[in-house]
Order: sequence, then structure tokens, then C-alpha cells
Amino acid sequence: MKRRVLGSVLFVACGSALAQTSDLDALKLADTAVANVEPPLDWQWFVEAAVGQILADDGLGSMANNRWSTNFQLNTALTDRFRFVMGDRLDVTSKNNVTGQSAVNTLKEAYVSWQIDKHRFIDVGRIKQLYGAAIGYNPTDYFRTGAVRSIVSIDPNSLKENRLGSVMVRGQTLWDTGSLTAIYSPRIEAHPSSAALDPDFGATNNRNRWLLALTQKVYRNLSPQVLLYGEEGGSVQAGLNLNAAPTDALVTFFEWSGGRGKSQLAQAFDQPAPLAFHQRFATGLTYTTASKVSMTLEYEFDSAAPSAAEWRALRQAPPMVYGQYRVTTQALQDLATKQSVFGYVSWQDAIVKHLDLNAMLRFSVTDNSCLSWVEARYHLNRVDLALQLQAAGGSRASEYAPSAYHYAWQALARYYF
Amino acid sequence: MMKHRVWAVVVGGMLAARVLAAGAATPSAQDILAASDAVRNPDYAFGVTTTLIEYRAGKQTDTDTLMVYSKSEPSSGQFRTLIRFLQPARDANKLMLKNGNEVWFYDPANKASIRISPQQRLLGQAANGDVVTVNLAKDYKASLEAEEDVDDGDRKRRHCYRLALAATSPDVTYPRIEMWIDEANNHPVKARFYTDSGRLLKTAYYRRYQEELGGVRPTETVIIDGLDPGWVTVMRGSDYVKRDVPDAWFQRDYLAHFNTQ
Repeated sequence: MKRRVLGSVLFVACGSALAQTSDLDALKLADTAVANVEPPLDWQWFVEAAVGQILADDGLGSMANNRWSTNFQLNTALTDRFRFVMGDRLDVTSKNNVTGQSAVNTLKEAYVSWQIDKHRFIDVGRIKQLYGAAIGYNPTDYFRTGAVRSIVSIDPNSLKENRLGSVMVRGQTLWDTGSLTAIYSPRIEAHPSSAALDPDFGATNNRNRWLLALTQKVYRNLSPQVLLYGEEGGSVQAGLNLNAAPTDALVTFFEWSGGRGKSQLAQAFDQPAPLAFHQRFATGLTYTTASKVSMTLEYEFDSAAPSAAEWRALRQAPPMVYGQYRVTTQALQDLATKQSVFGYVSWQDAIVKHLDLNAMLRFSVTDNSCLSWVEARYHLNRVDLALQLQAAGGSRASEYAPSAYHYAWQALARYYF
Repeated sequence: MMKHRVWAVVVGGMLAARVLAAGAATPSAQDILAASDAVRNPDYAFGVTTTLIEYRAGKQTDTDTLMVYSKSEPSSGQFRTLIRFLQPARDANKLMLKNGNEVWFYDPANKASIRISPQQRLLGQAANGDVVTVNLAKDYKASLEAEEDVDDGDRKRRHCYRLALAATSPDVTYPRIEMWIDEANNHPVKARFYTDSGRLLKTAYYRRYQEELGGVRPTETVIIDGLDPGWVTVMRGSDYVKRDVPDAWFQRDYLAHFNTQ
């Protein structure tokens, strides 16, 4: 017994001495710390080069998928009350030797922001306005239609980042526990343009639209957001975004949008169809472990998508018909079928410091097809190096395996100025 | 017998007077903690540029610079914080809002505000802010464990109160804290942060005291990881400024308009 007590005392004493030694070493190290504080920059600019391949399911066909891109972002003060914000991206893609290079410029935003006082703002110009509590599918992101000009990755973060804003006037007023935002987005052009440098107002501003968003704190950290959205020739849609953090490591979310409208099939084929009430929602949770692994699981539902029988019929239809529906749902950024499950795992400083591992899975409950994507990204001081792999699984013309090209890989390097 | 009784009364009276005098001179543990909170942070809204220099096994591995705006909430007394990331270049102008256990992350590249859990803290070093911009007296019950001499962050001997802090709020990051506070001026000297089970999470030394925001305050905190003593983070403050930050700015919908210039 005495030995055990003596042992414990010695252990504590040694531990304390070791702690003091390590503290002393750390403090000596801290004495040498030198860091130059550079003034904040109001811009960010990077260039990116990527090489990759897209491969067919049977292993017979493949095509090169090489690209270089440049992305510039600015948020600068014009006066003490006015700011100018812009974002632009240029992608030059080389898919194979036949088509050669193709360039797509995405003028993401360019607007002037006027701070009337500390609680009121008015913004005018092309603005990227995103709404949505969910991660993989955002039915309340009402300005998403037609916004993606150039897909460089299927990562939802990339799709949100590399897209067009809409030309609009946006007013916002804030109070201590909430805010009200009002938006009017006018019709400018009727049809989208595929010209490389076109600002493509026809993709984002082909009808008059408006939106009201009210956020109000109702209890401790619970601040629901309620939205009303209307567009020329369409019924008013209502939306709701809810978030909560029940524990230190868990976030739950619920996003819903509903209103009368045409089914997605009727929209794709421009059919005169009776208006019906449709609802779309996404709900899920994100759990983060102490070792910096965040896991998101999300259930997605879209009542305007085809029924199982309609989907089976569409998959058997001529490729042109099937293709037209897929192009429409891609432009709408809605689900192609009624139910989907989305998973996303992100691990910061995985295995070694500065290495991030990300993985995504989409699964169609309707036809059991799936799409998976993994990325390993290593950060150097001003350089990111990444390897991305993508695989689709499912039968012919399924939701996540629509073509014969099921696999893709891409290696990229990004340099920040 | 009578003499004994008188003597006992006299001695007892002297002891009681001494105890009372000592009681009057020694503030309560909670008061000491509150005074040390006031040394770390002023009671008004302020801005500070914070540089985090991280070392692993003696080698500098990361340098991050953040612009931080803090303001205490009148009802809870706890700090709400808006952080703008300045460096490294890939994270420039990203924002984080912390209001209690409500944390939002905003990326100007995709314009999306994402609710994250306190544990998710994207751009990991931001979690270190919890050892500085926090009002411990609001969320912890302090008890005085000892008065003892310890070496401070500049290796000078200081006579300190040693306080044991137990969390009274479920929202805090650290369930238990051990803190040494200079008896002469309530300057926090060092702190050890523990899990519920008593595992050491990190040790912090508050040092480089200088006149800032109307008081003498620590401008540097050295944080040593509890499991890996070779993991050292130096948090250095500069460009302190008193700044009026409206309460309405501490919400998700303001983030798109937030700028620090």
C-alpha cells in the first residue's frame, strides 16, 4: 500500500516536473515567434490548373478533361457608405482533340452596396443571393435556376461558388433579433447565351421575380427564416429554414419550400398542365467528432419530380426526350426523382497536418443509383494540391448514372496570389 | 478559572478579529475571477487583430491572422464575436460569427452562411479564442484552492491565487479550469483547461502585459496542448481599437454586409 502511495506521489511529482519543463520549452519557443501582420486585402485571386479524364463504364471510352481557371473576387470601399463587390471566374476547358478548347466566363457578381445607416442596406447590381439551411439540396435557394454556367466539380460547395448571381435590387433592414430582406429581380433577356464572355443575363434574369425573407429569433439560439417568393407567370412559393445545435457537436437542419406549380415533367416539355401544390424539402444533421471529422446525412424530397412509374417510362423514352428532362432538372437544380439521400464527410488535418479528406455520396431512393466523390486536398502556404475521384453506379439512364461515362478523376493545383 | 475564561475570550476575540480582517482583505474567489476577466477584456465593444503562430515539434507550421470584433451581451454577460480571417490567402475574408453556442461560418466565395456546431469550428485555430475572449465568471463557479508562488509566462515569480473553476453552463467548451491570478493586480498568469474526466486539454500563459483599451492587459497568450506539449500556439494581439458594434450585427443575415474597413 505504502509503495503504491509512494509510487503515486512520485508519478504526480514527475508529471508536474515534466509539465513545467515542457511549459518552459514552449515559452522559450514562443519568445522567438515572429509574425508580420499584413494589412487586410479587399481582394482574392487564384489561378488553377487541372488535368483529368472521364471514363466509360465498359472501360472502352475515355476523354481528357483538362482545364485552367482564374477566379477574382473584390469587395472594396468606394466611400465610407458605398462599397463595390465583384466576382468573376474564367474556365478554359479542353475535353478532347475534336472539340478543342472552350472558354466560359462566369460573371458571378458585380454590385454596389449602400449602407444607409448601421441597420439598413441597399444593394444594386448582379448579386449572388443564396438561401438554404441544408447542404446537398436547397429548395429555398430560389435564385438557383440557370445559375451554373460551368461545372468544374460536383462538390455542392463548388456548385454554389461557381455560379451566376441575378441582377436585382436588394434592401435589408436589421434589428437586434432579426432581419427583413426584400428583393426585386427584373427581366432583362429572354434566353440564355452560350457565348464565352457573355454576362448571360438571359440565364438568370429571364422573368421578373421578387422575394421577401424574414428572420426572427424566437428562443435562445433558434432563429427561423421564413421566405415568400414570386415570379412572373408563377404562383407564390413559401419557404422555411430552421437550424439548431442540440449539443456541442451536433447541428440539425430543416429546409422546406412549397407552393402551387407545374410538375417538373410539364416544365421540361413545356406542357400545359394543371397547377398543383408541390413541396420540396431537405432535412438532416451534421455531427463533428473531437478529431475534426464532420459527417452530414441529409434526406431530400421533391414532390414535383416524376412518380416511379413516370420515371421508368422516361428512362425507356428516346434519348432526346430523356436528355431534355435531365437538362431541365439540371438547370432547375432540383432532384430528378422524388427522393434522395445525401452524405458528406469532411476530415480536416487527416492523418497528416494540412491534408483534408472530403467524400460525398448521393443515393436515389427511387432507382437505387448512386454518385460518389472523394477528394484529398493538401494545403501549402499559397498552393492547394488536390486529387478528386468520381464514380457513378446504377443501371442505364438512372438518376446518378445518366450516361455511359461513370468514372472521372481530376488532379489540380491552385495558386493564391 | 475566571482568568482562563477571560484569556479565552481575549484570544478568541483576537482570532475572530483576525479572521474578519482577513475576510475583508481577501475578496471572494468569484470576485477575483471577475476582476481577472476585466483585465483580459474591457466591458465595451472592441476590435483586435490576432495573429496565431503554431508550432509542432519546435517547427513553425502555420500562421493565421484574424480580425476579431467582440462585444458582451447585456443579458448573459458573455462575449459575442465576429471574426474575419485575413491570412492565409486561401481563407482571406471568410467570416465566423459566435454568439453563445450559435456559430455561423460565411464564405464570401459562395455567399452561403452555414450553421456549424461549436466543435466543428472550421479553420480550427479559431477555437483558441475561447481561452481569451470569454467571461469566465459568468459561466464558472470559482473556489480558492491555494495561494502560491508560480512562474509566469516571462519566467518571473508571481504570488498568485489558485482558483478551481467548475462550469455552471452546459454550453462551455471546458468543463473544468484551474487558474492562477496575480494577488497584487488580478492579472491572469496561467490557466489549465480540463475535460470532465480530468484530462488536461491545454495550458495557457497570459503574458506581454501592456496598456491597451484603457487598462494594462495581456497582449499575448501561449497555448500548450495537453496531450502533445510540442504543439504550441502563440496568440498575439495588436491594433486594439474601441469600436461601436451594433447588437444587430451579431446575426447570420448581417454577414454578407460585414466589413472591417
